[in-house]
Amino acid sequence: MRSRKAAFVWLLEKEARELAVSRAWWVLLLGMGPLVGVAFIGAVRTYAEVSGLNGTSAGVGEALAPLTGVWAPAFSACELAAVFLLPFVAIRLVGGDRQNGALKLELQQGMSAGVLIAAKAIVLLAGWLIAMLPPVSAILLWRIYGGSVYTPELAALISGHVVNAGLTIALAAAMAAVSEHPSTAAILTLSVTVGTWIISFIGAVQGGWWERAAGYAPAAMVGDFQHGLVRFDSVLIALILILTGFAVAAEWTRLGTRLRRRMIDSTGIVALSAVAIFGCALVRGSWDASESRSNSFSIADERALQQIHGTLQLDVHLAPEDPRRLDLERHALLKLRRILPDVRVTYQSATSIGLFEQTSAGYGEIRYQLGGHSTTSRVTTEAGVLEVIYSMAGIAPPSAAQDPVYRGRPLAIEPRGAGVIFFGIWPGVVFISAMLVRRNLR
Amino acid sequence: MLFEVAGLSKRFGDLAALSDVSFHVRAGEVLGLIGPNGAGKSTLFECIAGVLASNSGSVRAQGRPMGRRERSELLFYVPDAIAPWSAQPLRWALNYTTGFFGGRADLGEEVIDQLDLRALLSRPVGELSKGQRKRALLAIGLLTPQPVLLIDEPFDGLDLRQTREAAAGLRAHAARGRTLFLSIHQISDAARLCDRFVLLSDGRVKGEGTMAELAAQASARDPAGEFASLDEVFLALT
Repeated sequence: MRSRKAAFVWLLEKEARELAVSRAWWVLLLGMGPLVGVAFIGAVRTYAEVSGLNGTSAGVGEALAPLTGVWAPAFSACELAAVFLLPFVAIRLVGGDRQNGALKLELQQGMSAGVLIAAKAIVLLAGWLIAMLPPVSAILLWRIYGGSVYTPELAALISGHVVNAGLTIALAAAMAAVSEHPSTAAILTLSVTVGTWIISFIGAVQGGWWERAAGYAPAAMVGDFQHGLVRFDSVLIALILILTGFAVAAEWTRLGTRLRRRMIDSTGIVALSAVAIFGCALVRGSWDASESRSNSFSIADERALQQIHGTLQLDVHLAPEDPRRLDLERHALLKLRRILPDVRVTYQSATSIGLFEQTSAGYGEIRYQLGGHSTTSRVTTEAGVLEVIYSMAGIAPPSAAQDPVYRGRPLAIEPRGAGVIFFGIWPGVVFISAMLVRRNLR
Repeated sequence: MLFEVAGLSKRFGDLAALSDVSFHVRAGEVLGLIGPNGAGKSTLFECIAGVLASNSGSVRAQGRPMGRRERSELLFYVPDAIAPWSAQPLRWALNYTTGFFGGRADLGEEVIDQLDLRALLSRPVGELSKGQRKRALLAIGLLTPQPVLLIDEPFDGLDLRQTREAAAGLRAHAARGRTLFLSIHQISDAARLCDRFVLLSDGRVKGEGTMAELAAQASARDPAGEFASLDEVFLALT
């Protein structure tokens, strides 16, 4: 009698050994140290200068939060590695078995291709978590410097990069399973990544549905996490995309299935995924994990806005690349959507940059409709938008005097020892580990 | 009869690799699949093992087609020219085979000695020579638990002495009740080892049976011919 559990444990061990002998993974580990080092040292120096080091006026850094000042740039190394290094690790692990013929043997065990792919996914995720040790060690270093650490925002940021890595792994796994050769899989994976950048670019120029779609691209999702914002719709959609990638990978890993069957099944998986994504796009709700509450209005404003139950409709006459539109989105609408039950925004413009529309009648105007009232304004600041809404809703603007004010976490200190750790100790540890592990596996 | 292949056909575009292939396999026998290069031997094995989808036909046991799970419990197929887990040492690959596939760990040392693999155990599978790798693949196959073992070209890359030793090892496992179905293009090797034969040419079965039965079929086709060896029988029937 074969024990399925024991077989899965064997499979996990095998995948772990395959990861440990993979040069691509060791290169990823080796590269993470210097990548994080450059970003972290640069970020800490800039943060220190803004905090008053070397003659900069003290107090400028009062509005500076470690999340945006240090952690977003330091962890951006993960984003870079996830795009340019991680796919090769995943392709090696998923495509290697097909290349050397092990897949033909393993699938005769009776285990489903889905379980085989799941084992690879677990090991790849574990491999990625090890690769995230340099940025995590940067947190310890920051603490040693006397810096402040706000756990929820860091947890959100780390989770964002883990989800982003999950997207990369799932995409690379699907491509490795679909294509016959690893180099083809690498090209396809990078093409999809570049495709998401193109969608983001078109979204920024064209607006509309493109802009909406670009909001779910990995780069945009990571951007939200870097601001401490955990959007439930983004997370759900990312998880669906990850499951879709693994499902497609499993479909194309199965042996003894005709091409037509695979195509039909894959189309079905993608169609189901599209329906689920559409449903998740309707999910509201988010969590502002940032210590500075940078994604939220003041508590007093939120209490006042909670009295509004109707639909707030905004017709915004601003082009996609108009800076005022970005201000409006980032500082007002993003926060409004988090607190009001129904915010509907329609953008109107004849051009993408708006430069030659400035003289057009109505350009720059924001038409508000709420509970049968309507008004027009040109103000795009948080305070200006709130003033209009309070006026329409007949609510007295609250006093923000009792609200706790975020004073920032300035820290004027040089990044001592960071260079030695990220450019010396980490690469050395990785190199020696690689030698020892490869020797011990023989 | 352990199982039968009934009307199996496989096309690659316009090319008919297998056409209406039918034969049966008996429990405990060493069955040889004989055919020249390009006859469709590997394709037939892959279709039987479920590695490759066939266009029509089935693999049947007890009068009904076998599902994927039934096949994986009955058959294990060892392809030719692969280097599975190529970065891992051979000893680990053999341990993995018994662990993952649920094979008999107690056979491990015996198989290692039968196939003269002891000196190679610490070397990665991918660094073995063609003959060494073939012996490693035979060991992997022999350590799996399925009652029927399909091996594609078991002696390809082996020298004469190694071929004879490997054949003796396979015979020893067959004597314990394991059914072996071997695809062999060297007819002399097949004649030494196999109990029965399936002759395959251009994707079609040209004959099936023991040496005596095949010689009788050849004589019926060419009464004037003399069929003392499997080579002559094969040439007469294909």
